[in-house]
Amino acid sequence: MASVTGKIPAFLRRREWLLAALVLLVFFWFNAREPDNYTFFKLLNQTRVYMVDVGFMALGMLLVLILGDIDISVAATAALSATVMGVAYRGGQGLPFWLSILLMLLTGAACGLANGLLVIRFKELFPMIITLSTQTLYRGIAYIILKDQSAGGFPAWYAKDLGYGSLPLLGLDVPIMLLILLLIFPFYYLWLHRTAAGRRLFAAGTNITASRYSGLHTDRIKLTAFLLNGLFAAIGGFFLTSRTGSVKYTIGTGFEMQAIAVAVLGGASTSGGRGSVPGLLLALLLLTALKNGLMLLYNDAFILNLSVGLLLILVVLIPNLFSALADRRRVLRQRLQLAK
Amino acid sequence: MSKPPVKVFNPGRLLRNRELGLSLVLLALVGLIGLRNPAFASINNLQFILGDTAIMIVLALGMMCVLLVGSIDISISAVMALSAMTAGIVMKNNLSQAEAQALAEGAVSAAAVKVSTPLPLLLLLAAGVGAGCGLVNGLLISYGRVLPIVATLGSQYIIYGLSHLVSGGQAVYRKDMSEDFIQFTRGSFLGFNSKVWIMLAAFLVLLVFITYTRHGRRLYAVGSNAEAARLSGINVRAVTLSAHVIMGILAGLAGMLYASHDNKITQDMAMGYEMYVIAACVIGGVSVTGGSGKILGVALGALTIGVINNGLTMLRLTGNSEFWKKAIQGAVILVAIITNVYIQRGHERRVLRERRL
Repeated sequence: MASVTGKIPAFLRRREWLLAALVLLVFFWFNAREPDNYTFFKLLNQTRVYMVDVGFMALGMLLVLILGDIDISVAATAALSATVMGVAYRGGQGLPFWLSILLMLLTGAACGLANGLLVIRFKELFPMIITLSTQTLYRGIAYIILKDQSAGGFPAWYAKDLGYGSLPLLGLDVPIMLLILLLIFPFYYLWLHRTAAGRRLFAAGTNITASRYSGLHTDRIKLTAFLLNGLFAAIGGFFLTSRTGSVKYTIGTGFEMQAIAVAVLGGASTSGGRGSVPGLLLALLLLTALKNGLMLLYNDAFILNLSVGLLLILVVLIPNLFSALADRRRVLRQRLQLAK
Repeated sequence: MSKPPVKVFNPGRLLRNRELGLSLVLLALVGLIGLRNPAFASINNLQFILGDTAIMIVLALGMMCVLLVGSIDISISAVMALSAMTAGIVMKNNLSQAEAQALAEGAVSAAAVKVSTPLPLLLLLAAGVGAGCGLVNGLLISYGRVLPIVATLGSQYIIYGLSHLVSGGQAVYRKDMSEDFIQFTRGSFLGFNSKVWIMLAAFLVLLVFITYTRHGRRLYAVGSNAEAARLSGINVRAVTLSAHVIMGILAGLAGMLYASHDNKITQDMAMGYEMYVIAACVIGGVSVTGGSGKILGVALGALTIGVINNGLTMLRLTGNSEFWKKAIQGAVILVAIITNVYIQRGHERRVLRERRL
């Protein structure tokens, strides 16, 4: 790899630059095609729809992906947690709202914990298989609780101010939920990339056996990652519900794939040991800019998914092809030297 | 080691056979559900379950090949939708021509001549589309070095998108289908639905391929140790690619079965079906890391899921059985998978004890 890309300094070779360039490219391309409807201000407004709930789920998914595991059940966890909140509050006739929120967070954490326990207890089954079944299980429980009904009637500050409110900031109307998400990122970055606890996650994901022998409690780390993932899924469900105003058991279907896509696009690998918080943020921005633009041009969910899939594959494939090319050149050069 | 083993009939050894264990579990399930609702264990219903599960078995056979080489394919439901939709659109377009022609020739009713492109051609088309999807998946994974989950997650989005583009935003309904396509999964031969016969054919072909051909054995070699396989002269990438193409072809055919069975082709047909197929493989004893799994086990695993699905409807736990089916399916599959782990662990412990380790 060093021979071809060696001339470029290491920090410039990071995935983040590619993503940042793509964000700008996508933004200006759509801006040129739809100068009136696709502006920075309107895009900022649309982050509610395309960015926040998936963003929270992706933050949790990142932890699990760094460990080399995967969690298919996040969307179902979000649905179940939001269902619990809606049913506990019962449109103002049940528990107080803060208690309902607490219950929701507990439900999310419990779902994550159950996943984690199953994963460390049954190592010969893979997290993918386990969370595949718990996905159906969690949605099933949400279905038992709510049946085909929906639960709503949330307080105004939640369904209106949090869901659709904005704060004037530097002359921009920044959606409140976006602000909350963005505020989390610096802390999340520091925790994951700059503390021992965060680095342990990367260590366990790179080589779990070596980590265990060097004294890491790998099972505990896994459990924590799955638990936090469940918690983040619940928070994602919380913001999703504030936007839709009511809960059904089908809420957020397919979001798990979007969360995985965002994390992988941002530099995580499903084989573990890799992942980046800045990359995740950029991937989130990229998808938001792309989805909003495509929605304006085509107004078609299928076209939107098609381009997301294409982007996901290309962003992973292209660096792979470059490194394969570099490998081949290196081998050729070594052969030439040997021939001399 | 000095004494040659004497072959005596040993019932304990027979029980250790994994497939036999699974079939006993399956029989017990049928018996238990049958006790509660005798209609469940009737020959008619069991035949119905077999026909219902045939599509899942066809898919699970392909998924087994992919899992054997240590890969996975979660785009199969999208491949089913795309190939059925492509064939369906061709059928629909040719059908309207046939109707117009017949009317022009003075036929009394147009419905009498619901003919279209011959069924074998349509099947070939669907299998071809499936093979193309499998080829792309395989190329991405083997030559592009993209991790299987990521590659097929991405291609799932893309293929569903293509299926939407092909459909032009419309579904293909029964009125758009030719008579022989509608009857495709409704005919029966020797008391079994034609789906069962197609499944049996696929089963036998893959059984011979995987157990007796050189290429079939290579799937196991690549999955158990790719590096060792490469060093012993196996083209690992080509083998991985071929597994994905096989999966694609079977998914294309299964898509046609599914469409004919449902009498409807929608652009998001079979969404989420891949999860059941993977679960069937895992229950059937295929390792997700590759290299181990038997074809009979896979069929039994799919049948177990079929029995559970049908049984949950037949049990009538409450007034609304569909409700319970939806609600506890996940729990039941989880229990089945975990039971399987315990059986496997017991088996491994016994093997270790026999070797005095």
